[in-house]
Amino acid sequence: MPNETPATTVDDIVRSRKKKQRIQFGFYLFLLGLIVWSIKATVIDDTDWDRIGSLADIGKSISHFIGIDFSLIPSLLGPTIETFMIACIGTLLGFIICIPAIWFGALNVTPFKSVTYPMARAAMTISRSIHEIVWALIFVSAVGLGAFAGILAIAARSLGFIAKMSAEAVENIDPRPVEAIRAVGGNNLQVMLYGILPQVLPIILGIVIFEWEINIRRSAVLGLVGAGGLGLVFFRQMHTFNYPGVTTVIVAIFGLVLIGEVASHYSRKALI
Amino acid sequence: MNKSDPLRSYSIQGDNVDREWRRFKYPQTLVKYGVLLSVLVFFTYSVHYLNIPLDRIMGMFGRLGDVLANRYYPPDLGYIANQEYLDAIVETIQMAYLGALFGLLFSIVLGWFSAHNVSPSQRYIYPIARVITMGCRSVHEMIWAILFVTILGFGILPGVLALTMFSIGFAGKLFSEEIEAIDMGEVEAIRAMGGNHLQVFVYGVFPQVRTAFTGIAIYTWDVAFRAATVVGFVGAGGMGWYLKRNIMQIETHRTAAILLSIIVLVVISELFSAWARIRVSKAK
Repeated sequence: MPNETPATTVDDIVRSRKKKQRIQFGFYLFLLGLIVWSIKATVIDDTDWDRIGSLADIGKSISHFIGIDFSLIPSLLGPTIETFMIACIGTLLGFIICIPAIWFGALNVTPFKSVTYPMARAAMTISRSIHEIVWALIFVSAVGLGAFAGILAIAARSLGFIAKMSAEAVENIDPRPVEAIRAVGGNNLQVMLYGILPQVLPIILGIVIFEWEINIRRSAVLGLVGAGGLGLVFFRQMHTFNYPGVTTVIVAIFGLVLIGEVASHYSRKALI
Repeated sequence: MNKSDPLRSYSIQGDNVDREWRRFKYPQTLVKYGVLLSVLVFFTYSVHYLNIPLDRIMGMFGRLGDVLANRYYPPDLGYIANQEYLDAIVETIQMAYLGALFGLLFSIVLGWFSAHNVSPSQRYIYPIARVITMGCRSVHEMIWAILFVTILGFGILPGVLALTMFSIGFAGKLFSEEIEAIDMGEVEAIRAMGGNHLQVFVYGVFPQVRTAFTGIAIYTWDVAFRAATVVGFVGAGGMGWYLKRNIMQIETHRTAAILLSIIVLVVISELFSAWARIRVSKAK
């Protein structure tokens, strides 16, 4: 039959479906293999089961933590406020140093595309890929112990997230107001102030508030490396084996994060 | 945001016609400036409270550059190019993988329970599931790692468990938000036919969020890997232990090399996760 088009027959469909299923099956098998291998390597080979002992021993270690050290509560107020303030100022500082990163990192406004865009993107990636603890260590070695190192660490860590999300918001703006302002002769600064900023400001503020909420959580651990706040109290309680005190600190962190979450929820709602 | 009629600001009585259009009118501007002022006062007070030496900040940045350039600069790459360190990297990947996996298994259930619209019991199960996910999320992964190291001793297992808790908090919230945004029509159809809660979830909810869940799962793995690079800091296995040891010994060149390897690995995992998420959302 010369002019027969290569029509898809039932056989073809069945065959392609079978092939797809086989690939899927292979993929799941691969995942399963990874799981088994990882569990064997980490949980079975590497774990010191004698140290852990029986379930009763684990229960005993956990039971140390049950209870709240009420005598610690008055001395928690100061570090809690400190943690909160570190998060607030860190987020503000992060936002301030983030403004050039947003400007350089958004494709439609970046001044020299081949130089500034990769620069901003690299800064964002580095900021996000280094954990806040490591940032804090770097800053503690540079500016000494204390809240200031924590603030810088929070700022450095928040830069990536704020700048990335905000640059995406800037890239997704409605181009018509920008064109309108350019059409009436506005220069670049005027385009930015009146064409772009009003469109993205609520979104950026929402992102900043979201990051602030995360930063409260982060600033609570920075004390582990000497940057003040609740983390320091936690560390001290842990090292003096005052386990109910540890639980108390965790409850305080929980309360602070809860407040932050509620505040962030309502302020973001008020923005939109 | 602005509920008052903008035309109303043009007063038509007499000559004093207000020609200038303003977005915010009197009571709103008061609130706005009040909020701004209080925020400013708060920030000023906190700078004072935390004893931040504002006058020395510029010098500090100079010193930071100095520290990075002189002490960290030539990273000792020879130190990390050995079998032992590669094993630590593999351990870190396994830890992140297992932690994310266990966390995701729990958080599918918790996400279902803590989604307001399909939760089996809005009065009892919903708040409990909410509190569990919030508790997991509000405690930082380092603190989980410290707690598990205290209970179980050094090793990878505490790291896996810490990342499990972290992933529960992280993915549980995203899952429940995703479930809360579904189309309720299908859920109602299955309920109308007499399906129980499990059937509603399996046939009404899950098919709608499957793609989104896969994306979130990949993202969770990515974030868990980032966290896994440092949980070793407190003795929970992986690369973090190397980092801690070299920081303690002030081997700054080696520390720089380790940090560099962390950045490279995180960038690779991020690229991989972005690629996988795009593929998943296309394969819908």
